[in-house]
Amino acid sequence: MAHKSRMHAGESRRSAVFVLPMALLAVTLVALPLIYVLGTSLVETGQSFSFGAAFTLDNYRRLLRADYLLVFWESLKLAFLTTLLSFVIGYPFAYCMARAGKRWKSLLMMLVIIPFWTSALVRIYGWKILLQANGPINAVLRGLGLIEKNIKFLGSYGSVLLAMVYCMISFMILPCHSSIDKLDVTLVEAARDLGSKPWRAFLDVTLPLTMPGILAGCVLVFVPSVGIFYLADIMGGGLVLVGNLIRDQLLKVRDWNTGSAMSMVLIFITAGIYLLYRRSGGDDLGVF
Amino acid sequence: MKKKGLWIAVAVVLIVAVLAAIVLIPKLTTKKATEEPVLNIFTWEGYIDYETVIKPFEEETGIKVNYATFASNEEMYEKLSAVNGGDYDIILASDYILNTTREAGLMQKFDTGIVTNLGNLDEGFTHQYFDPDSEYVVPYVSGIPLIVYDPSAVDIEIKGFNDLWNPALKDSLGLIDDARVTIGMVLLSMGQSMNTTDDAVLAEAAEKLAALKDNIHVLEYENLHNYLVSGDVSVAYTFTPFVALALDANPDLKVVWPEEGLGFGIDGCFIPVNAPHAKNANQFLEFLLRPEIAAVCAEWQYYCSPNAAAMEVISDWYKENPVFSGIYDRIGDAEYVKNLSSADEQKFQDIWTTFKLSL
Repeated sequence: MAHKSRMHAGESRRSAVFVLPMALLAVTLVALPLIYVLGTSLVETGQSFSFGAAFTLDNYRRLLRADYLLVFWESLKLAFLTTLLSFVIGYPFAYCMARAGKRWKSLLMMLVIIPFWTSALVRIYGWKILLQANGPINAVLRGLGLIEKNIKFLGSYGSVLLAMVYCMISFMILPCHSSIDKLDVTLVEAARDLGSKPWRAFLDVTLPLTMPGILAGCVLVFVPSVGIFYLADIMGGGLVLVGNLIRDQLLKVRDWNTGSAMSMVLIFITAGIYLLYRRSGGDDLGVF
Repeated sequence: MKKKGLWIAVAVVLIVAVLAAIVLIPKLTTKKATEEPVLNIFTWEGYIDYETVIKPFEEETGIKVNYATFASNEEMYEKLSAVNGGDYDIILASDYILNTTREAGLMQKFDTGIVTNLGNLDEGFTHQYFDPDSEYVVPYVSGIPLIVYDPSAVDIEIKGFNDLWNPALKDSLGLIDDARVTIGMVLLSMGQSMNTTDDAVLAEAAEKLAALKDNIHVLEYENLHNYLVSGDVSVAYTFTPFVALALDANPDLKVVWPEEGLGFGIDGCFIPVNAPHAKNANQFLEFLLRPEIAAVCAEWQYYCSPNAAAMEVISDWYKENPVFSGIYDRIGDAEYVKNLSSADEQKFQDIWTTFKLSL
């Protein structure tokens, strides 16, 4: 860290004073609960985590079942599709936003920010009303003569995916936008001057140079998508995602140890994705 | 750099202050509370109406009611165990958790010297498994999940659970996204108990459930009535208030009391073993049992009333609604979803997970 070495000794001591309380908070609010979950996942079923408890890996071994693996696979698949769609829709949006004039730019930015003002839950219920069989979307399609019978959108995989992309896409747009915005336009111009076709210039110059934003967006969308399950539940999708599995394990089966093991696996997956991202030269996402 | 440090310091002070407030404020208020006529109620959000129940009680008795909420029965049980049956004076929760709570010794008997109107209850709702001698729990409302369907969108007449497997209902069912309730429904359709733990019977149920796959359009725990009213499903199996709401929105819908058997549930009030204001709590139970109050609660919550005296004074609208009135004829066929051991509960969850993955 370059700026650290430039700091005076006094300043660095002072900053340590300020860091200490923050570190204490981080330890009590993040690390301790996590250690408790880890501990609970490592003791026998029905036991609570305490010092001197006998450790076992049984709770993790219990997860090695075809149907549980399928549940993890389903969650990863949904998260992957959400990320892919968010990118396909979000990147062009971010591109237009970055290249738009000042007035348009702030308007588009508002469109991205405003949804954050209300709860995602409320907005998803709005989607449900739009999508229902006798709802406005079907009415329009019928009015245009495109369909004869109402389409039952709700409950389909597509409706779940729509809700996911809708809730997550901002996290793709914002980092992509900041990358594209920072991109030196003269580089693209140079490529064009040297005879590159527009799409070639985009693929060879714009895309690689905005990769940090794309990667950051992918991580920001993918990681929460793996854990979210209430959107699928609200859309009536009848999916079993890791989140459902953990909730049912804790509340219905009342097996906190296996539930904790599931949670730990989810955390490992998330951490693995983050590490992969850092390995590939990713930014710190403002986390560290 | 200096400015940044200052901001961080301010942020830290703020966070610490908020944390301190969260820890200290409840302590200060509960300390004060013991000196006053107070009643601490603990239940779901919106489950006891303020205007029609709590406010009249406060005006009549001068007791100040505090209303704390939980999101699930399990959360209530965790919290009550953590305070060793103290802090709260009245808890309103569901049958199976009432049973767990009583067995854990976290309830106290109500005082029949104060609660003198227990006779208002219909006998079908007293002496239940969670309170065999009717000395701990005062039933508040009761519900039975029912089938409700749109006859204009369905070609067959539905009389019971087994009709749901009819191929004519392809892609048109909305069922409750809950292992115990929906596998329980399959078990009832087979003439079995919803609480069976017999592996052979459960395997048969799993097979029968798998055959229902093509007819299911939506699985959701609550709000299935919306799908019915919007035309997304034409048949739903859902809880009492949602059946009633569906009927309100579309009076042409048909309600079916399944011929094979019924699921059943009671939500009831009890006084925790170390309740700080047990006398006030007993007064409140007496208040809830009064016919006019019980009637208001049933009408407000859209559930069936276990209070026979309330049925005398309840509105005609409620009395004539088939969702609410049918219970008295069929209570003998009704069965609770009871709490099972973790291992048995796991069997139901496994069947449900496998089934949902196949959808």
